Amino acid sequence: MAAILGVQGVKKSYRMGRVAVPALCGVSFEVKNGEFLTIFGPSGSGKSTLLHLMGGLDRPDEGKILIDGVDILELSDSTLADLRLNKIGFVFQFFNLLPRLTALKNVELPLAIAGASEGETIERARQTLELVGLKARENHRPAELSGGEQQRVAIARALITNPKIILADEPTGNLDTKTGWEIVQLMKKLNGEKGQTLIVITHDPSIAEAADRIIYLRDGLVERVKEVSRGSQR
Amino acid sequence: MENLKQRKLRTSLTTLGVVIGITAIIGLASLGEGFRIEMKSRMQQGFELDNLTIIPGSLFAGLSPQRFFDSDVQKISEVSGVQTVTQVMQLGNVTLYNGNKTTQAFVATAVNFTEFIKVFPDRFVFDGESPNAYGNDTIIIGYKVNHPNETETTSPFATAHDNVTMTLLVTQQALPFYRLENHTFTTGGVLQERGTPGITNFDYWVFIPLETAREIYKKEESDLIFVRVTDSSQSERVAKDIEAMFPPFRITILIPLTFIRQVDNILSIVQLFLMAVASISLLVAGIGIMNIMTVSVMERTREIGILKAIGAKSRTVLAMFLAEAVLIGLMGGIIGLFTGYGLSYGLAFALTGLIQPQQNTTFQNPETHPLTITPVFSFEWTVAAFVFAILICIIFALYPARKASKLNPVEALRYE
Repeated sequence: MAAILGVQGVKKSYRMGRVAVPALCGVSFEVKNGEFLTIFGPSGSGKSTLLHLMGGLDRPDEGKILIDGVDILELSDSTLADLRLNKIGFVFQFFNLLPRLTALKNVELPLAIAGASEGETIERARQTLELVGLKARENHRPAELSGGEQQRVAIARALITNPKIILADEPTGNLDTKTGWEIVQLMKKLNGEKGQTLIVITHDPSIAEAADRIIYLRDGLVERVKEVSRGSQR
Repeated sequence: MENLKQRKLRTSLTTLGVVIGITAIIGLASLGEGFRIEMKSRMQQGFELDNLTIIPGSLFAGLSPQRFFDSDVQKISEVSGVQTVTQVMQLGNVTLYNGNKTTQAFVATAVNFTEFIKVFPDRFVFDGESPNAYGNDTIIIGYKVNHPNETETTSPFATAHDNVTMTLLVTQQALPFYRLENHTFTTGGVLQERGTPGITNFDYWVFIPLETAREIYKKEESDLIFVRVTDSSQSERVAKDIEAMFPPFRITILIPLTFIRQVDNILSIVQLFLMAVASISLLVAGIGIMNIMTVSVMERTREIGILKAIGAKSRTVLAMFLAEAVLIGLMGGIIGLFTGYGLSYGLAFALTGLIQPQQNTTFQNPETHPLTITPVFSFEWTVAAFVFAILICIIFALYPARKASKLNPVEALRYE
């Protein structure tokens, strides 16, 4: 299986006033095409930073991030944006839906940015909402949806451009256990059906175990990698 | 679009700023143009555009004691574009007697009647009988001289064929160097009331033949020359040609066209100045836009982060915010155009008939007609104002929009 995403010797620090706080201290690993990978670690281990870098939302201080073989450091901001639009889908802990748009419009957003025609956009958005089981709620605003429903909308939004990689930052962090579990099952199901690479950041061990592989991160470094014994179909 | 709908009050107030600015500019442009055109038409009606008045000497170099001679008249008549030239002698203030009636003329002037009538055809119109010939003792009397007491319905001073005596001040060599002489004339006719269609008012004048005056005063010099041009639009060119024939500062030519143009220019400058001041309100509206845009960007920081995470480019974010500003400019511009023209037409309607010109400047039509201002709809100003509104919105939105587009997505996402 080809590596769709490669992390090589990545280091990243943040400036807090006059002090540089290291978040990642040299992380290297590969992500196989189509696999369900979790990055597991305690708070402060650098998980979110790593996710942001993998998604091209930020650039590493040192090292390389290769997406489909291309080093993102070499890409312009504009090209990176296109990458995020077409190849990557984000799911966040706090859902990050636009509060003034309906569920349907939120899902349509990436296509609207890509400049697709209105008719095509609405149709595809509906289909994607159906995939996550929320067709009935398409005209509701986020304030009118439960946490779980909002996250489903976020997942639909992440899926609509048929990206190769889905990056989820603590997707269940803001949900109760039951709902959280439903979300993970949904994501896993979609991963199986559509074959997209799914990378989930979590500090919840039960969710980590749902994946094909777990990367344990601590203090900005990879501690160990574990293949989950339940075999995946890829 | 969605965002603007949601913040109705805020958007409305910002748009209001643009509306006020455009209303002021368009209102001033429209009313100002209308006013200018009215002024110009009044002056054109009022001033005799076909006539040039030539005065000896120069206002700047000191009015010269030199007068005009027949040779000067001859020279001028040869200039192309000149239809008629006539010279006049001014005889000053005189008293007239007709039997036991007496009156005063502000100016007695000696003219060549044939030429003079050619130069002032509209003013030499008679009240009652007109003379069929001009003898060397003919006197023509101006309206106000003949009816000195306007309010009373007294009989006029003289009618045609009456003999009137005029007292003239004539210089002499011996002491006291002047004497009063009485000369008798036959009234050829009385002129109709005409007012001041320019700088002179014939109502207060009397006219006697030039040859007769030359005999009385024993001199051949004239005090003024009037020229009628064939084409009033050429009057400035003709004046220049005439001036070239004389030494510098020897003569001054009064050209109505130039005067009208100068007044029009001044009005035009005033109008532009007022519009510039009105533009200030539009600038203030622009600052308002910058203000709410900045607040809007701050409020939507998280949103911008989300959009960037989804894959929106920086320039997409920039375009988004600029588009909102353009929309405000469009709406404000359109509404402002309507209110601007509405205001100018409304004001014109209200002001019409309110402003009356002064009584002593009646124009060629003896009845005074009140000032009517017709507001002007100018396509150029409309488009210019509209574009200006949108430009202002874009320029003032640029800074906050750029800030928005440059936000780091990771930090933006963290923003509460």
